[in-house]
Amino acid sequence: MTGAILALILGAADPCAPVLPAAVPAPAEAAAYRAAGDEERAAGDREGASFAYRAAAALDPADAASRERLRALCLAPAPRADPFEAGLRRMEAHDWRAAAESFGEARRATGDRSAALLEGICRYNLGEEAEAAPLLRAAEAQPEHRDLARFYLGLVALREGAAPRAAELFAQAAASPELASLASDLSRLARQDSGLVLTLLGETGFDSNVTQAPRNAAAIPGVAGTTSGDGLYGFAGSALYRPLGRDGPFLRASGFARQQLQLGSYDFAGLEAGAGWQATRDGAGAQGGYDFLYRTFGGRPFLAAHRFSAGAWLTAGLTWSARYALQLENYQSSNISGFSGTVHSAELRAALPFGPGGWLAAVYGLTRDAAKLGIASYTEQGPRLELRSVLGPRLRLGASAGLSFRSYDDLDPVLGVRRKDRYLTATLTGEYDLAPGWTARASLQGFRALSSSPAFEYDKLVPTVGVVWQKGL
Amino acid sequence: MTAAALLILSGLTLTAGGAGADEHLLAGAQRFREAHYPEALVEFRVAQRLGSGEAARYAAVTLVKLGRPEEAIEAFGGLAGQEPDALIDYHRAVAAFDARLYLAADRILATVADRAGPRVGAEAARMRAEIAATLKAEPAPAAIDWYLRRCAEQRAQGRAILAAAYCEEAAGLSARRPDHYRRAEALRGAPAAGRGAKP
Repeated sequence: MTGAILALILGAADPCAPVLPAAVPAPAEAAAYRAAGDEERAAGDREGASFAYRAAAALDPADAASRERLRALCLAPAPRADPFEAGLRRMEAHDWRAAAESFGEARRATGDRSAALLEGICRYNLGEEAEAAPLLRAAEAQPEHRDLARFYLGLVALREGAAPRAAELFAQAAASPELASLASDLSRLARQDSGLVLTLLGETGFDSNVTQAPRNAAAIPGVAGTTSGDGLYGFAGSALYRPLGRDGPFLRASGFARQQLQLGSYDFAGLEAGAGWQATRDGAGAQGGYDFLYRTFGGRPFLAAHRFSAGAWLTAGLTWSARYALQLENYQSSNISGFSGTVHSAELRAALPFGPGGWLAAVYGLTRDAAKLGIASYTEQGPRLELRSVLGPRLRLGASAGLSFRSYDDLDPVLGVRRKDRYLTATLTGEYDLAPGWTARASLQGFRALSSSPAFEYDKLVPTVGVVWQKGL
Repeated sequence: MTAAALLILSGLTLTAGGAGADEHLLAGAQRFREAHYPEALVEFRVAQRLGSGEAARYAAVTLVKLGRPEEAIEAFGGLAGQEPDALIDYHRAVAAFDARLYLAADRILATVADRAGPRVGAEAARMRAEIAATLKAEPAPAAIDWYLRRCAEQRAQGRAILAAAYCEEAAGLSARRPDHYRRAEALRGAPAAGRGAKP
């Protein structure tokens, strides 16, 4: 039982304490220990090598080579004795390369899964996904490291373009209370980053002013009735296909239908289909595309349009983005064909990230609608604030408030004024993840229109609740 | 995986080597149970040198625990064929997986599910699902380049088993592309892969 007894004796000893000779010398076993020690020393496993050399020296008092190699290991520079601590210091200093090497040394010496986890994180930060993945998987086997390892494995998968796998790993990592908010959010975003993303929405609610009846309708000649509230239900769906992943061409299609329970002549529905190209690099990106749009109103053809759009974004502290769209509109009914024309819209946006997944954005928009009729042509501009906050592992809150100013080109001969409108808009949205891919959504939209013509001043509130299903394939 | 490995090491049968080898095999198992993997590895290697036929496999399992998958693959004697013990095969697959040899890992795991207990079987199924997701898309040329580069690096270091394993993986991935990108080159480097005799 030489080996077992030695193991018990040596296990409690300081690896650099004087070696006590075994009661019965065993030179053959000592040679085997020495060889194993040489092997582990070559592999960088200091702990294993020390153990082996001590055993060899104990079993063979004449084994000067093992004593000398043990002495050399014990005299090795101090930092080598505690590479894990060195790795932590270097990691705090964001010296990922040096930290990874220290953790690697610690891992090889002790097999410590904590070192494997931290080395994996450093390798990920260095962009060395191939090296990071096996380390993180090794750490994943340790229950206390499982969630964080899966979180980083998700990031690795995301970087490798395997969005569905990333979504699954993030969803698993969300089991950790510390990671839940961020991991849930990333899981959802990873689903959206898949090659084919399908989204369906079903909702119901109430529109307090479907017909946009004036606030003081009774006082306005020719405006009948003030009650225009109605229940509603709606469906929407979209598909986004990116055959080459995030960068490259994409095809997209979407549709929606919003039906009023009583005021069927205000039912609104639409279809869009288009294609484009996106390129991203190091926190920046650009996208361009074309879409065809078709709308019906009250069940009848309403609008057909071609839209050309382009946008770009850059993250440098704030995330800056700009987009422009040109829409060629053709209203389908002869009595509103004068509204047909060209719409230019542009938007500049600056977003400040905060917390896990949250941001506050300031937006300024400018729209120019050049319709055939001067009384239908206008310029509109104004700011908007947007807030998004992750309140819990499954709960998100969004809010926005905007003010815009619209000025029409020509005097309206019927109204006797050239319309100048102001619009106040506010939206509050809450989302709760019911299960991976399923989200409950509640929203309250408020709208107030102020105008130089009282007939166009109105308010409306639209509360809705719905369920969203999303799948990344 | 710890529990699975312990099952292996708890079930050691002391028949393969001489009495001295068996003692070190037991000492290694004791160390392994205590999660003292560096010492366990030394004991298994001593047992191997003293004539234990089984010790190399246990050393390989310990190397998997130490996060040294490439050395583990060498200690297993490669990734070919099938081990009599499903748990050993499971750890061979983990080593292959950790070395990013997904096709090899999947091939081994496919034989594990029916032979292992429910816990290891479930873990094997989970790994296979992850591999399937990883390999779902057509392999990129850059990925095949990486495996061939690893093959060349290992060959230059005289690590024939690993070189062959990486080349075979490259060949397998290349076969999944319509253009069979660098497949002939990969096959030239793979002849020993998986067919490498156990040490």
